[in-house]
Amino acid sequence: MNNEALYQERFARIQKAIRLEPVDRIPVVYMGVAFAPRYMGLSIAEFCADPEATVKMNLASMDKLGGFDGINLAGAGRITAVLTTLWLSRLGVPGRDLPPDSLWQVREAEVMTVEDYDFIIKNGWQAFLGSYLPRVIDMTEFGEAIGWLMANATRCVSTYHERGYVPICAAASSIPFEYFCGGRSMQKFVFDLHRIPDKVQAAMDAIFPDVIGQAIGVTRASGVNGVWVGGWRSASALISPKLWNRFVWPYIVKFVDALVAAGLTPVLHWDQDWTRDLARLQELPAKKCILNPDGMTNMRKFKEIAGDRMAMMGDVPAAMLAAGTPDDIHTYVRDLVRLFGSTGLILCPGCDAPINTKPQNMEAFVAAGREYGKGV
Amino acid sequence: MSDQLATAMADLEESTVLKLVRQRLDAGDNPMAILTSCREGMTQVGKRFEACEYFISELIMAGEIFKQATALLSPRLKTDAIGSRGKVVIGTVKGDIHDIGKDIVVSLLKAANYDVRDLGVDVPPQKVVDAVKETGATVVGLSGLLTVAFDSMKETVAALAAAGLRSKVKVMIGGGSVSETVQQYAGADAWGTDAQAAVSLCNQWIKEVGK
Repeated sequence: MNNEALYQERFARIQKAIRLEPVDRIPVVYMGVAFAPRYMGLSIAEFCADPEATVKMNLASMDKLGGFDGINLAGAGRITAVLTTLWLSRLGVPGRDLPPDSLWQVREAEVMTVEDYDFIIKNGWQAFLGSYLPRVIDMTEFGEAIGWLMANATRCVSTYHERGYVPICAAASSIPFEYFCGGRSMQKFVFDLHRIPDKVQAAMDAIFPDVIGQAIGVTRASGVNGVWVGGWRSASALISPKLWNRFVWPYIVKFVDALVAAGLTPVLHWDQDWTRDLARLQELPAKKCILNPDGMTNMRKFKEIAGDRMAMMGDVPAAMLAAGTPDDIHTYVRDLVRLFGSTGLILCPGCDAPINTKPQNMEAFVAAGREYGKGV
Repeated sequence: MSDQLATAMADLEESTVLKLVRQRLDAGDNPMAILTSCREGMTQVGKRFEACEYFISELIMAGEIFKQATALLSPRLKTDAIGSRGKVVIGTVKGDIHDIGKDIVVSLLKAANYDVRDLGVDVPPQKVVDAVKETGATVVGLSGLLTVAFDSMKETVAALAAAGLRSKVKVMIGGGSVSETVQQYAGADAWGTDAQAAVSLCNQWIKEVGK
């Protein structure tokens, strides 16, 4: 079968899973941004310096492991610049700020100030980013990274298709909570939510149309239909219902509705534990979204509460991939397949296979997906 | 709860807590009694967290209010009169710079009257060993969000053993992706899903081994 035929077969399988229709076998997709260079023998410093490296390493890793239908997030460009825009934070870059073969890290610090909320309310998101980004990244480096992305991202993403793999997403976005939380630092942002809630909400409302518009624009330009709606610090396990119901959920609903109305597929890339609020997923459009948890949200409850609403892409835990055994992985994948049956499951590492994933565990993930996922 | 201050602390009423602390200090109340009220409020915060009435967002806010209250009290407190329940050395292990979870644990342990040596982030194993030797701490808390922290936790536990300290300390680990598997991998004594679990573990261990 040639690559285009393979792509079409895999694409149809994944689309069926999203629509909660029975599949011939459970799709298995890749996600391992930092695992890929480590697995392929490239230092993390070299990986971070080369904007082509994400695609090259992902594809090399996927080819070597074999058996994937696609990839969760087909990222491109310099990873640290991309993460800076998503977290509004300074990043420690391997080879520059950190040892060459260590993992990049978001530096938790209060960079955005309380006064910035006023600026945002008055001047809007784009004006704020123009004044803010120089505080967290060298603008020459940032300009080069964005210029490269604009010229090359679509080409890079199409490479997956040419090789027969389905990219489910090629862009990542989030709700205002996450941007502000990254810029302010979690501690300071929580203080803001308690001390100046009205101002925070006004700033969230001021940036939200731009955030949505940008997510739609970037996703359409990528040629891929899916887009991450990320949630990490806004997780149910971290934020009380009082705050969550005001600053998190209404924005998720509005974001998802806008993406679905634009014909896109929101992928709820949610780290941490969201079990408390799984019933709220019933408020989202049916069979149009994918929940993409990291292994901490209770899948049994998800299946029971919202399994008729959306597919789940995940959720082999990062800790298991790093510290567990192939037997652990086999058991976890087997249990997921037993729980979901032939509908609504896309097997994938939870969040992202970490840098120190044992290769034998990643191999076990693919093998288990193939073994248990066929003829369900 | 016994008084208005403890109630305000438990309810996270920041301005009320600070106003009451100042009022009671101005009225000549014993600073230790004021601190006890704040701690009573913090105990209630912990209970509400365990009952899923409060979440991490409330623990962060409670820690901030308690910190401000103790800053008002500390100039009037006689250090030798305070007397802690036990000594704890804590840090985010080498290779990881995340400190949110670790900082919450530190503030809750301090509120529970533990003497905490916070080593910060990206802490090499030897620094933990040195701190245990210096303080005589009987509990070590190792934090990490990233999976690369697992190896550092293991190395730290090994360094404690190599220094002949392993039998003298209990080691607890915590952080985003920590689990029982990781506890076994690292050779720690226990792992916790949240900051309140760290306080419960310390209470249990201190009771078992004494200070």
